[in-house]
Amino acid sequence: MRSERRAGRRSLPVRQARLATTAVAAAVATATVLGACGGGGGTAEAGGATAPASVPELTDEPLTLSFIWFEWPPAQALEDFANAEYTTERPNVTVEVNTVPNANWHDAMFTQFAARQTDFDIAILDSQHIGEAVTNGNIVELTEFIEGNIETDAFDPYLLAAYGQYPQAETGKRDESASMYGLPLLGDTWTMIYRKDLIGDEPPQTWDEMIAVAEQCQADNPGVSGLAFHQANGSDAAAVTYNTVNGLYGGNLWDAASRQIDGVLNDEAGHRAMDVLVNEMKPLTAAGSGNWFIDEVNAAVAQGKACIAFNWIAASGGLLDPEQSTLGATREEILDTLGFATLPTQETDLVPLGGMGMHVSAYAAAEHQAEALNFMKWFLQEDTQKKWAAAGGVPSRTDALESPEFLEAGPFNQVYADSVSRMRDMWNVPEYARLVDIENTSVNAALNGAMDPREALDTIAVEQQQILDSSGSGGL
Amino acid sequence: MVLTNEPPVREVTPTPPPRRRTSRLGDRGLAALFISPAMLLLLAMSVFPLLWALTLSFTNYSATSSAPAEFVGFANYAEILTSPAVRQRALTTLVYVVGAVTLQTVLGFGIAYLISRRERGRGLLTTVFLVPMMLSPVVVGLFWRFMLDAQFGVVNSLLTSVGLQPVEWLTRQETAMISLIVVDTWQWTPFIMLIALAGLTAVPRYLYEAASIDRASEWFRFRNITLPLVWPLLLIAVMFRAIEAFRLFDLVYILTNGGPGVSTETLSFHVYKVAFLGFNTGTASAYGILMVVVVIVLAQIYLRYLNKLKED
Repeated sequence: MRSERRAGRRSLPVRQARLATTAVAAAVATATVLGACGGGGGTAEAGGATAPASVPELTDEPLTLSFIWFEWPPAQALEDFANAEYTTERPNVTVEVNTVPNANWHDAMFTQFAARQTDFDIAILDSQHIGEAVTNGNIVELTEFIEGNIETDAFDPYLLAAYGQYPQAETGKRDESASMYGLPLLGDTWTMIYRKDLIGDEPPQTWDEMIAVAEQCQADNPGVSGLAFHQANGSDAAAVTYNTVNGLYGGNLWDAASRQIDGVLNDEAGHRAMDVLVNEMKPLTAAGSGNWFIDEVNAAVAQGKACIAFNWIAASGGLLDPEQSTLGATREEILDTLGFATLPTQETDLVPLGGMGMHVSAYAAAEHQAEALNFMKWFLQEDTQKKWAAAGGVPSRTDALESPEFLEAGPFNQVYADSVSRMRDMWNVPEYARLVDIENTSVNAALNGAMDPREALDTIAVEQQQILDSSGSGGL
Repeated sequence: MVLTNEPPVREVTPTPPPRRRTSRLGDRGLAALFISPAMLLLLAMSVFPLLWALTLSFTNYSATSSAPAEFVGFANYAEILTSPAVRQRALTTLVYVVGAVTLQTVLGFGIAYLISRRERGRGLLTTVFLVPMMLSPVVVGLFWRFMLDAQFGVVNSLLTSVGLQPVEWLTRQETAMISLIVVDTWQWTPFIMLIALAGLTAVPRYLYEAASIDRASEWFRFRNITLPLVWPLLLIAVMFRAIEAFRLFDLVYILTNGGPGVSTETLSFHVYKVAFLGFNTGTASAYGILMVVVVIVLAQIYLRYLNKLKED
């Protein structure tokens, strides 16, 4: 009765509003929670599928081989290259490279993996994604297939391991007995881009020297900032920047064997690296560059607004396009102004490992998986790799890396060839996405004055350690 | 004419056939039939996911993990409610909601008041003011991101052209939240304006005429006639905007990505990270459920106040 009386007292508009509130709340619930539902409580098969030792029989029916990648120039280059070259061998096949914004790349792949159903046959994973995908059985194991079909001796062992091996390879090495889950698609690392007209033809040789040169250049050229580099808190932008400086100043991201981060990352070398980044490098960047990533750094270089910049090689091709640059009317004129060099050294000569590998979706149809294996076998042949190099790609085979097709295709390709032996990767563990998010947000906070640099590094170390210790279960 | 002695035959009126059970639907059946598609859709798209999320919120389920989910009781809820990270995001969300909704209410009501006083061009003005509301938040976020760019943005160009210093709108802790509030206000002030305008045009004209006869001042008329009559409607608009602002995600994602650091990371954005970076589906479900509970409780308190206001 009480409730009836109370209901009767409620005026109509208010009751309607209450109903509307409940409806809106339900909508909030649905919008907020639906995404969190994922695929429901079904149990997936533990472990993953294994590819056969040889390519299975291929279909003659029309087939579209789908990749998933993020939106950047190499994605279009791959689609064009594959449709021009692979179709001469397999005319019934069309290659489609579907792209998503970089910030959504991980989510776009792993939400489909979570649903145990993918609209792609080959996932182009960052090396750090491998652990998560392998642990959850999302990608096909390729160990036997690689042994029987790929000339492993033709590759730098670490390069082959970095894009396919799990558990993660030790820096610079490959564990011959480890399982393989992918093959290299595109190699990459950072290049230093410098203004020859402002700082001279010879690039600085050490990191400290580079900072001093950038500082002088900024002072001598009003309106031009000394440095441009990745600082954004999305993707792995700010994290790669810190990790690069960390490596060069002798720091380590973790002790892989004991899974220890706290005390390793934030040791003396780690703090020195953070201090260099925040207090010596950041003041030389443009105001408001705290959310810059690949495109913004390229734009600053192309518009002549930076003395020295750092960017991924695979994203640097546009810098030579006169239509996108104010540095010259032709490619040659731009090259008179811009120089590309390997990163300066400091305590060490480490450079960040970039690039991605090809991984077969465990949920793709059998004939698509067979076609994917055939594509990968074809792609890693010597002549295909050289053609890929000539088409603007970065190959992985040593013979292709040393070929004139590659070295003459772009001014930064020599930089890549010289950097292969210097590469260091991040953590390739199932908890990668959370580890990199922690590092991104805190480094970004330090770079933008929202956090003290020392406190930021200690926070990263503590929070990352908690994630590793809990093996990624639960947690906020 | 022929006459007969036969008694007139009384034409027998056919009796209606006995009421048979018909296969046709009654009113209630028909009503059920008509609403059933909507009900089924609601059940499938809203109720079921909600209940499913509620179930998952008591487990350690991860959408990407092969491991089966285990019942963890209220552990996820306890973790969220005691987490300093969540408290920080809640505070950020509160600052944002209060800042954005207050600004939108003041501006929206002000614009509506000015428009309501116009005799001509009212329709055109209303339509023009509504344009931002018709745009996708993602599109709004993208073009504001360009406009607020510290190096190349039009806003800083305007500032420097009048001799002011450029501002790092999206990359400084102090200005990033203000930028979010300004952009949200640009887009959603028209909503408040529209509701307020509806209330203002519904105020009986004779009340103003009576006040004029009594030589009441403009302020007196506003305070004692306009505001009391529009206030309840305005409060409902505020409630809707507050609920919307509470679950803000898209503008944060496009404009600041939660940065610098996590200084503009709202609760919804944090849920997204928990759900899709860590794939801690159980925790994310509990997080979402708690957000819904907060919205419902606050809305109920608010509605009680509204009801009381109306009774008074």
